Amino acid sequence: MSKIICSAAIRGAHNIVDKAEQKYQEALDKWGPDHAVGFPNTAYYLPIIYGILGVPVSKLGDVRPVLEKCRSLLPPLVSEKVWLPYLAPTLEAGMATFFAEEIIEAIRYLEYPDFYTKQEDPIGGNIWLGAADDIILRKRGVEFVDGTAPGFAAILGAPPTKEIAAEIAKELQEKNLYVFMCAENNGVRMSEQLVEAGVQIGWPTRLVSFGSDYTATVFAMGFATRAAMSFGGIKPGDFRGNLLYNKNRIFAFAMPLGPVSDEWYANAAGAINWGFPVIADTPIPEILPTGICTYEHVVSNVPHSEIVQRAVEVRGLKVTVSKIDIPVSYGPAFEGERIRKDDLYLECGGGKTKAVELTVSRDMDEVEDGHVEMIGPDLDQIKDGSKLPFAMLIEVAGRQRQEDFEPILERQIHHLVNYAEGIMHIGQRAIMWLRVGKAAVEKGFRLKHLGTIMHAKYHQEFGAICDKVQVKIYTEEAKVDEVLALARKIYAARDKRVDRMTDETEETFYSCTLCQSFAPSHVCIITPERTGMCGAYNWLDGKASYEINPTGPNQPIVKGECIDPVLGKWKGTDEFIFKASRQKFQTASAYSLVHDPMTACGCFECIATILPLCNGVMIVNRDYLGMTPCGMKFTTLAGMVGGGEVTPGFLGVSKHYIASRKFLLAEGGLKRVVWMPQMLKKELEAKLKSRGEELGIPNLFDIIADDTKGATEEEILPFLEEVGHPALTMESIL
Amino acid sequence: MALEIPKVSYSGKIREIVLGKGDKAITVGGGTSYPFYLFEGQMPLKPRIAMEVYDSPPDDWAPTALEPFADVAGDPVAWAKKCIDTYGAEMIALQLVSTDPNGENRSAEEAAALTKKVAEAVDVPLIVWGCNNAEKDTEVLKKIAEDCAGRSLMIGPVTEANYKQVGAVAIGYEHTVIASTPIDINLAKQLNILLGNLGVPDGRILIDPTTGALGYGLEYGYSVMERIRMAALTQEDERLQFPMVCNLGKEVWKTKEAKQSRDEAPKLGDPAKRGVLMEAITAQLVLAAGADILIMRHPESIALIQDMLNDLLAA
Ligand code: SF4
Repeated sequence: MSKIICSAAIRGAHNIVDKAEQKYQEALDKWGPDHAVGFPNTAYYLPIIYGILGVPVSKLGDVRPVLEKCRSLLPPLVSEKVWLPYLAPTLEAGMATFFAEEIIEAIRYLEYPDFYTKQEDPIGGNIWLGAADDIILRKRGVEFVDGTAPGFAAILGAPPTKEIAAEIAKELQEKNLYVFMCAENNGVRMSEQLVEAGVQIGWPTRLVSFGSDYTATVFAMGFATRAAMSFGGIKPGDFRGNLLYNKNRIFAFAMPLGPVSDEWYANAAGAINWGFPVIADTPIPEILPTGICTYEHVVSNVPHSEIVQRAVEVRGLKVTVSKIDIPVSYGPAFEGERIRKDDLYLECGGGKTKAVELTVSRDMDEVEDGHVEMIGPDLDQIKDGSKLPFAMLIEVAGRQRQEDFEPILERQIHHLVNYAEGIMHIGQRAIMWLRVGKAAVEKGFRLKHLGTIMHAKYHQEFGAICDKVQVKIYTEEAKVDEVLALARKIYAARDKRVDRMTDETEETFYSCTLCQSFAPSHVCIITPERTGMCGAYNWLDGKASYEINPTGPNQPIVKGECIDPVLGKWKGTDEFIFKASRQKFQTASAYSLVHDPMTACGCFECIATILPLCNGVMIVNRDYLGMTPCGMKFTTLAGMVGGGEVTPGFLGVSKHYIASRKFLLAEGGLKRVVWMPQMLKKELEAKLKSRGEELGIPNLFDIIADDTKGATEEEILPFLEEVGHPALTMESIL
Repeated sequence: MALEIPKVSYSGKIREIVLGKGDKAITVGGGTSYPFYLFEGQMPLKPRIAMEVYDSPPDDWAPTALEPFADVAGDPVAWAKKCIDTYGAEMIALQLVSTDPNGENRSAEEAAALTKKVAEAVDVPLIVWGCNNAEKDTEVLKKIAEDCAGRSLMIGPVTEANYKQVGAVAIGYEHTVIASTPIDINLAKQLNILLGNLGVPDGRILIDPTTGALGYGLEYGYSVMERIRMAALTQEDERLQFPMVCNLGKEVWKTKEAKQSRDEAPKLGDPAKRGVLMEAITAQLVLAAGADILIMRHPESIALIQDMLNDLLAA
């Protein structure tokens, strides 16, 4: 920790404890040790002292041991010559500061019973509210728990003008934060500035004018300490539990505005104990590395226009956007809407113009949250029936940069844009196609609003992985070309990365138990090379879904020791299956249809099964309604193998898995496949061909029989023999 | 040689939850075996029945259902008292149907004022059940929790859509939450995890697995309840070891069969008995599946179930 900060904080703490001792002595002389002392209407005594030390102060006499504790916590003043790691003693000095300040404030209640209004609002000329009583605590504390108010800003001092004060207050309010104000900067106080600026203050507007003095900081800290006791079940005296509760759940920070005095430093040091970082507008030394706080501890010299945004980032507060500010309706009801030629105002992509959409992750400082920019003509600058080149570049940043999630986020563009009334979106990447209807344009819809939508929805649905979102929309050919070139590079890198990812390279797989709602013992194990059988969840989806919803149906499975690389069995997956199937199954193979195949739920894209005569495997997809060589149609098969049961010889598979290198590895892989409906073959043509090349059987695609060759084993066998299908000479599948 | 009956070995126990406050407080849960399998474990605390009270006069009830309450139907306080004084109810469940935005749409303030009146008039544990519209329930249950601070109500249904808001007031004002999920063991478990993460103490969570009436999906609820119990007792699933509540009276009595007169359904037997038996059978089945608290309507079906419980639990 910075020596300057430490020495100043420790000096400040000494001053404050001295002052408390003096106040206590005076009060004792005047009222005697049995006189009641405390904050009004609370069961938490002096809450910081009670919460941290477990000491209930109710009489003046109870104060003495607390002051003694302060003395014992106070480190000696820092000398010029010696430099020790000062973090721990400084934090202790910060604690002593708060105990002492609570004592000072409690005695103030004795000396001047009407100094504070003791209510939610200012009364007449008195704007100082003082400690929140238990009724306010409950009512407001609930908002901290349910997230309607994620936390608070404890502001000391005041910005240079009342306009800036109003601006900062408004920005904090917009982030749903409470603003707890105290202390003066050169005789000016932010609460007073707000009143002058005509801003309504008090608990109802979340602009809480706690007190005129810096010692009123303890009302903010006491509020947090009580919240932990009352909502977190933390026992008085469990200081560790209390501080951690606050660090993890109350998104608060201290914001000193104006020159930082020794006493302010002491208060700041105290706040750091609670995990509340300090964001200052003056050039005080910074303390960046993390340790007590989640991220940085002290960040300084931040311009007023950026201070709220910076504070929110440093504290790791998630932005919530509750309303999507666009002039057309928005919701799933509009997803399937088509825009016909006659209603068309603008068309982009779809083979008519160049068009591309791209989501990329950036570093935190490269993205300005909420920034939406339109480069090129928007809808009000073009004629009805126009076509334009189009590029949408969405840049997201999170505290943890997760390039892995780019494709998942990008894939959402399709339905998120489609939700807007009067807008039609088809496809993705560089084959996207956008249509905007006349009615939407008449209502005031502009292309720029696509950015508004994406910003809001990424925050709403992917807040766990996106902290900042900015969107640029281009309709100028040259710019679109630039984005297109960038996109091509990124797509290539992404595809390569996914391609390189194998079940061997990743240590963690993901589960999916979504289908347990109708197939109680079903568990999908999703590996990089084996997607969920419905085809809707690949490994990255599993990972993202877990990050977004950690208690949801996709859980990480550390695969652990490999039991059998050919069957695809690991210790970790077996343990997971045992638990997640509620002890119904002990094991499952990821790559076999014969030996301990996975359970099947019912929503598999395809079913694979054995054709004994051909010594091979056939695959049929859900959309194929005809008869298959195993003697059953898809529907009959599905009725046989679903419901979360294991049926050796039958396996639910996704289309994607068919072209995987791990497809039925135990049975010999893709070479075993002797029949598929032609429609499925066509759909997978490119992938199957390239897998055939890889396997050294370049004509594999052509020698897999399909419904044009026959729908019984007897019909297709001659064809297989004629083309020399490898399955015929492989070892017996049974 | 004597026949040795194989026994299930249990590793879990249902949490004991205290409902209400003071002398009339009730504890439920505590089971260490499948329901009524007294040869395998214990069921130390008997399942309890809460009698329904409606917040507005019912207009479409079967005459049989209405008859016992005809004199109190417009007055929830009198209704609650009658349940206790005349029918010996050990718990009351206040059904706030009139808050439904698609119906009367009574305000949260009105609902809270009424709940407070009922809460003050009775000393038995009080369940408060919203209208099953997550948004409206949030508003209503928040206000009720606040206005009835410290009364230790059981409030629900708390769903994934509103668990944060309702959970938070339950913590702050010391009530018990009824965690409600649509017939799905994993969702039930997830909601309990979420409530725990939010800070709701484990001693203040009840599960509502969603109950259908006899002939109206009862079997789905039944098998999910069974699975919840299996997970809790034999698979150490700690987040499912909470007592279960079944809000069944409402479901049974809204069925066509419970309401039809002799003329409308001549083949379905005596309408005066029909609904009562349907309710009793539904109750009996959910008890066998593991219910700890039943919300029921008719005094006669309740009497039948009390009889059955006494028989089954007699040592
Ligand atoms: S089939 Fe799809 S949705 Fe169902 S469990 Fe598997 S991955 Fe999940």
